[in-house]
Amino acid sequence: MRNRIWLTVLLAIVSLIAIAPFVLMVVVALTPRLSPTLPHAWPSSLTLDNFVQLLSTESFLRWTGNTVIYSSVSVVAVLLSASMAGYVFARKRFPGRDALLWSLLSTLMVPFHAVLMPSVVIIQLLGWADTYWGLIIPTLANAQAVLLLRQFIRALPDEVFDAARIDGAGNWRVYWTIVLPLCRPVLATLAVFVFLWHWNDFLWPLVVSGNGDTSTLTVGLSTLDAGHLTIPELMSAATVTGLPCLLVFLVVQRRLVSTVSFAGPGR
Amino acid sequence: MSRLREPLTVLAFLLPVLVLFGAFRFLPMLGAAGLSVTDYRPGGDVEFVGAENYAGLVEDRYFLASLRTTAIYVAIYVPLTVAVALGTALLLHSVPWGRGVFRAALFAPYVTSLVLSGVIWKWLFEPAGLLRNPSTVLPALAIVGVWKGFGYAMLILLAGIRTVPADCLEAAEVDGASVWQRFRHMLLPSLRPAIFFVVVVETIGAFQVFDLIYVMTTGGPARASYTLAYAVYQYGFTYFEVGKAAAAGLVLWAIVLLVSLTQRRAFERNP
Repeated sequence: MRNRIWLTVLLAIVSLIAIAPFVLMVVVALTPRLSPTLPHAWPSSLTLDNFVQLLSTESFLRWTGNTVIYSSVSVVAVLLSASMAGYVFARKRFPGRDALLWSLLSTLMVPFHAVLMPSVVIIQLLGWADTYWGLIIPTLANAQAVLLLRQFIRALPDEVFDAARIDGAGNWRVYWTIVLPLCRPVLATLAVFVFLWHWNDFLWPLVVSGNGDTSTLTVGLSTLDAGHLTIPELMSAATVTGLPCLLVFLVVQRRLVSTVSFAGPGR
Repeated sequence: MSRLREPLTVLAFLLPVLVLFGAFRFLPMLGAAGLSVTDYRPGGDVEFVGAENYAGLVEDRYFLASLRTTAIYVAIYVPLTVAVALGTALLLHSVPWGRGVFRAALFAPYVTSLVLSGVIWKWLFEPAGLLRNPSTVLPALAIVGVWKGFGYAMLILLAGIRTVPADCLEAAEVDGASVWQRFRHMLLPSLRPAIFFVVVVETIGAFQVFDLIYVMTTGGPARASYTLAYAVYQYGFTYFEVGKAAAAGLVLWAIVLLVSLTQRRAFERNP
């Protein structure tokens, strides 16, 4: 038992180290912009001024809006397209089905840098550079989402589908009134993952949008540097960028953790 | 239902995914091979140049150095990640209470972006100057990568540990097996598949390290953190040598493929 107490203390220390950078970030973000910051001095007073200042900056609001659009549109589109494909992969027989599923999964083994240049060329040829189309549509091809939904739909009881068939329900009806409602738990988890992937995505927004009109928070944050801003201002921008992810995680962490252990998240 | 309607409906359900993967996953794979043998420039004429881009890479000493730099990063990052993930997973498994809270704290960095990690740690490293010294920059980057990324491996390993029946471990403890003996002879053998999976996934990821370098060092100092993925970006978006960038990207792909196949064979040879 004594052993276990020491192990708990050790784990508590490691956990503190893991979240310490976030704590420091928030404390510095709350420090008045021109006063000395950690590690030199604890703030003598705390203020929300940096956030107020930041959220009245036109470019920062635009990045935030674009990131919200990029993440939320992607969540809806990925859930719909992947659940449609997952349904037929799980419940229909057609020639080449397994080969097709495997070839979708094989794209997971391809480093994104290997297809970076051709992807950008395709976007340029389509005239989609620095547009929402170019930013969002290519990132909707999500093999993990298809696989996860296929696994889940395959494990649903056959009787439900048989009964629907006997009642004369067509495929669209089955998809809309049976598959989607029954998949709600896995769709909810997947929504969180897709949200996090897109909110945190960097390379694709960087090469498609750059500093343009559709630039996102990650790209924007990477252009801010300590030369032009004070450290408290920089850290308040970092806080706004990271806080939504940490809050979403805190709310759904149990479910998120069990999915990782079950299927792996990836990207 | 008519015989033709069913296949058409199946196709309709697959259509969004087929179009997305066709246009933005499979077409770029072919396009990468195609671009790598041309002198494509945005807006200019395209000419076939054969293996010129590849020859250009071999002659570029910065590119050759980037292979070495990437390998060093992987060699630091992967063992460190597995060690930290295994250590925290074992600790999480053995503590009597507070497991959920500790797990959440340890996993939190994983849900934020690498850009955010880069911005915070660049500031944290500033007083010690770790990013300004060519001999400490790669370990410093790896520490940030591990901090941000180990949570995933930790959860996978924790799930692996849970597959070992608790009463077996208790029986061994009663029989006088030491902590090390129980780890070495009971946990480790059943964890091998999970460890293998984690090593492969983390290695593939580590070869593609980019975001941290873009944010924290831009390949410096003195190109000490100029990695393969960063080279691809530089060729393509700083020098606009699209063909050369595509060729470098394919080299990255080949290396990743080769390394995962080698790891797979090593795993199968002594399971």
